[in-house]
Amino acid sequence: MADLGRAALAVSLGLAVYALVVGIVAARSNRRRLAVSARNALFACFGSTLVAAAVLASALVRHDFSFVYVAQHTNRTLSARYALTAFWGGQEGSLLLWLLVLTGYGTLAVAVNRRLLRDLVAWVVPVLGGIATFFAFVLVAIASPFDTQTAPVDGLGLTPSLQNPYMAIHPPMLYLGYVGLAIPFSFAAGALLSGKTDERWLVATRRWTLAAWAFLGVGQLLGAHWAYVEVGWGGYYAWDPVENAALMPWLAATAFLHSVMIQERKGMLKVWNMVLVALAFELSVFGTFLTRSGVVNSIHSFAKSPIGSWFLAFVVISTLFSVALILWRLPLLKARTKLESALSREATFLYNNLLLVALCLTVLWGVLFPILTQLVQGETRTIGRPYYDFFLRAFGLPLLLLMGIGPLVAWRKASARSLLKLLAWPIATAVVAGAILVAVGAGSSKPGLIAYTFSAFVLATIVVELVRGTRAAGSLFRLVSRNRRRYGGYVVHAAVVLLAIGIAGSSAYQTTTEQRLVPGQTMTVAGYHLTYRGATHIDTPNAQRVQALIDVRGPWSGRLRTGSVTYTGFAGETDREVGIKTDWLRAEDLYVIADDFRPDGAVYFKVLVRPLINLIWLAGLLFVVGSLVALWPDAREQRRLVTRLAPARA
Amino acid sequence: MARSTRSPARLIVALAVAGVLAVFLLYTAVAGNSTPSLTPSGLAGHVGKVQVVGAVVGPIRGDSHSAAGLRFGIRDIGSGAKSPVVQVVYRGDSPPPLFAVTRHVVVSGTIVGGRIAGTGIVTKCPSKYVPTKKY
Repeated sequence: MADLGRAALAVSLGLAVYALVVGIVAARSNRRRLAVSARNALFACFGSTLVAAAVLASALVRHDFSFVYVAQHTNRTLSARYALTAFWGGQEGSLLLWLLVLTGYGTLAVAVNRRLLRDLVAWVVPVLGGIATFFAFVLVAIASPFDTQTAPVDGLGLTPSLQNPYMAIHPPMLYLGYVGLAIPFSFAAGALLSGKTDERWLVATRRWTLAAWAFLGVGQLLGAHWAYVEVGWGGYYAWDPVENAALMPWLAATAFLHSVMIQERKGMLKVWNMVLVALAFELSVFGTFLTRSGVVNSIHSFAKSPIGSWFLAFVVISTLFSVALILWRLPLLKARTKLESALSREATFLYNNLLLVALCLTVLWGVLFPILTQLVQGETRTIGRPYYDFFLRAFGLPLLLLMGIGPLVAWRKASARSLLKLLAWPIATAVVAGAILVAVGAGSSKPGLIAYTFSAFVLATIVVELVRGTRAAGSLFRLVSRNRRRYGGYVVHAAVVLLAIGIAGSSAYQTTTEQRLVPGQTMTVAGYHLTYRGATHIDTPNAQRVQALIDVRGPWSGRLRTGSVTYTGFAGETDREVGIKTDWLRAEDLYVIADDFRPDGAVYFKVLVRPLINLIWLAGLLFVVGSLVALWPDAREQRRLVTRLAPARA
Repeated sequence: MARSTRSPARLIVALAVAGVLAVFLLYTAVAGNSTPSLTPSGLAGHVGKVQVVGAVVGPIRGDSHSAAGLRFGIRDIGSGAKSPVVQVVYRGDSPPPLFAVTRHVVVSGTIVGGRIAGTGIVTKCPSKYVPTKKY
């Protein structure tokens, strides 16, 4: 079986090289049959990668420990479900997933657009072939999941902290996001190489970008929820390089999704859009490099593996390729129209873009800072949470405000008077909300107060837009179904507002107390009275679990269990099991960590009361709904775009 | 009089870039406190606040909540028994549950008399792309 997997990967590499080389020859010489051959090689590359993936999945489920990868990441006690998650639980398997998703996405995107955009697709194929060549080469030559050995009696198993339902969904979501950004990048590069730099490549890839962006966003929120409920440190985002690796391409893609509308409508920002799409893709590969090179210090243990230098080389080469391509085609990227006023829809989109990119580069600077200080000063220095929090506020709060103003500003040129008239209700709502918040004591945190006031403003603008639109369209359903992209966008904006309220509420207004209790003693935190009743010990063949029983009185009354579990094997790995009680009415969590069980019966408890934190998870659901609305096929919009882009095709 | 046809886009971008740079400078000049991130073998000659990345060396004694603190050693990750061990006295919240001998940790604190007076411990998550394990 391993031979089949190795052979399938070797075939994938050969086909990817064929798609790259023959694709270039075909596109340059405009030989249609050769171009079809290169395209078919890309499709076949997906097929052979699928065979390789099936071989690995089968070996994982069958516990075939003659595969080194299977023995390293599973054992006989691991259920089939978790054995399958081990596919992306290790380096080699996750790289195979990268290649599988890339060739699968590429096949679909090329197949769908092969007739509509024949000239452009002829160049997209070699670009995708080039990316696939890199990953197939790494899998064949450096990190093969099909290395074999004499099968041991049992495998080493999957780290207990990864034996979690989130493991089944969080990494694949991120991969679908990371790899999905290769599609708009390939079409952008195809447009530049073919000289077809009109808006058609944007239309062809809009949904691909949106889908990749949505997967990346959902993947990050799932990771945050996993950290919150399972890791047990009370937080959900630590500005760790690994987390930032997913955030950076998401921010660049967010900027692109906004600026693309300006190019579609006004023919502006062509260079900017090329830069953004390249930036998003390069950052997604850079993120993969970060998690595999060990060059930065992270709370995740990553190896200093030789694979890192290959990824770095790929990032450098593909970045140089993108820059050279954009510079070469600058004359073709001239704007059709110009920005007429600093107070216009176009201008607000530009401000939004600048803030998003500034935030993205700020995060990148924070990630690179230790490497740069090592290079310049000979000493690694890190900048921590205060740096990121400062810039999140500096750029995030104006972004929040712009999210409310932008959709109400007229295209081309708006007058301050008409804009103020439109914003009268939202401003009034924000002022009233701010006054109420100060009255109830929310003024204790200025950033929190500003975030809440801005959030009220944005929600009011969304409501104003919906009311105005519904009046004109006759019904809300008709309004949304006629312009899914726009109103899907509003739903996503509402999700971002919920996210902002959740982040501000849970960080600016949280209460934390740590106290040592013996059975019978009580501690009080933010109106909750917690009485420690004693500890129970549960031993199973695989683990020893100790739990503290706590009776709670206050806004919620009941019993909570919190403790830790120590696994046999895995060097006695211990995981926390936190006690969480959610009050959905107030979106508040009572979060209890039993930190330290003492032989004398005492336990150190850390109790957090985190108001509004559950709005973050609700925001995730709303984000999915908004993304689906915007992604849903819309024939009417497609016709509008075709009509608008008709001169460009001529 | 001829009207300028230049787009204000460039001006906006230039002002935005200047603004961002100004904020950066302001932050790094006023509030940007970076901390040296060191390994135990690279601590010699350093004073003040540090972050030290290493592997925990036993025995682990004491209590992080007491005045005497929790005491343990750390040495460079992946180094042999010959590499230097730096002593840590940590006071504060209980250390993370994964904290144990041989675990990889990041200790934040201050160097006092050749020891680290720790105020924070982060235990590295046993994550996906770890070095090849041995049977």
